[in-house]
Amino acid sequence: MSAPETSEGYQVRLEIFEGPLDLLLFLIRKKKIDIHDIPIAAITRDYLEYLDRKGQINLDREAEFLFVAALLIYIKSQMLLPRERDLAEAEDPRRTLVNRLIEFQKVKAACSLLREREDDQLRQWKRNFLPPLPGEEDLDFTEVSLFDLAESFFVIMKRRAARDFKVIMGKDVSLEDKMKEIVAILETRGPLDFLEYFERQDSVEEALVAFFGLLELIKSRTVHAVQDGIFKTIRVQLRKDPRRTHPHE
Amino acid sequence: MNEPAPAAPVIENLPGIIEALIFISQDPLTVDRMKSVLEGASAEDIQAAVDGLVAGAETRPGGVRIIQVGGGYVFATRPDNDRWVRRLLQIERKNRLSSAALESLCTIAYNPDITQAEISALRGVDSTGTLKTLLEKKLIRIVGRKKAPGNPLVYRTSDKFLQYFGLNSLEELPSEEEIARILQEDKTSEP
Repeated sequence: MSAPETSEGYQVRLEIFEGPLDLLLFLIRKKKIDIHDIPIAAITRDYLEYLDRKGQINLDREAEFLFVAALLIYIKSQMLLPRERDLAEAEDPRRTLVNRLIEFQKVKAACSLLREREDDQLRQWKRNFLPPLPGEEDLDFTEVSLFDLAESFFVIMKRRAARDFKVIMGKDVSLEDKMKEIVAILETRGPLDFLEYFERQDSVEEALVAFFGLLELIKSRTVHAVQDGIFKTIRVQLRKDPRRTHPHE
Repeated sequence: MNEPAPAAPVIENLPGIIEALIFISQDPLTVDRMKSVLEGASAEDIQAAVDGLVAGAETRPGGVRIIQVGGGYVFATRPDNDRWVRRLLQIERKNRLSSAALESLCTIAYNPDITQAEISALRGVDSTGTLKTLLEKKLIRIVGRKKAPGNPLVYRTSDKFLQYFGLNSLEELPSEEEIARILQEDKTSEP
């Protein structure tokens, strides 16, 4: 059980410690320390060194790494306190941590065995684990938040307002019609470019109605707005899952 | 045909029928389920036919075979064909579980009815996000709430978990001895 289990399989990266216990176990193994008799001062020093370098720890977990650092220092301070009885007799301040490490070590070992099983199973394709066929929904897209949508929308509207501005009287657009229009476009022509669609609207009112219609469709999970990366165009497409709810029926 | 006659098999070519049933099922088909479909056939006959199919597929050089997984039987491609299957599906790399996900799964598998806080404590890292992903992947399920302050949710691994790892029950998880052996190997192999 060494480097591989911290990698994602395909990602080639240096060993990154996902959590504080990972790092501690690594240090203990590296120094060939008896897990039941950890020299806390030495381990704490090594541990803090790793934290300083940052490159090798999962930074999302920094607080948890620091927590264990504090725990180590606390344990050390406990061990420095003068005692009336021998350490062996009294409760060893390291005990709780050691028990946790031993438990965790077992989990890691079981993980490495399960990883082998996983690899083994992944080579045997079964019909119930078939991924969506290529060409279908792209899973790399991230769903766009309401704020992204609204922001883009107002940008377009401002741009339009700066240009010509004509008011067409007497053309009432209902929300429902707009929603039907959007769905129809998606069904016949496939994904829709968000910017382009609103650029095409005749008036601000119509664009507004279309925008609300779009929000309504997103809410009812009929469509979703996705983006394949930050600053990329926002695309609107029909959802693939059949569990749609129609809000106006 | 009112009286059951176990001595005289009513269904001919039981292995063939069972093979068809397994083929059609996407999820592992249990012997119990087969029995409810194949009225008149005894569990022993069914089991014998299934065993024959599994053994037969093992010796036959075909590209698919029947394997026992998740307590039932399912068709699976042979591991050697993996490369080609992936080319067909246009999958270049395998999507393995992340180490955080695997670690949490493991923790739950060995400690059924565990809470999020307990998992996090065992791993030393907050596991809320990981649990959410595992729930979405249906590899774990919520089985209830613990009678403790805050009534936290308790988790267990799902049937899909067993299938994913090719296990038939939690009893097939790596045993204490296997784990001890791995730990021993680690100690000796490390620099």
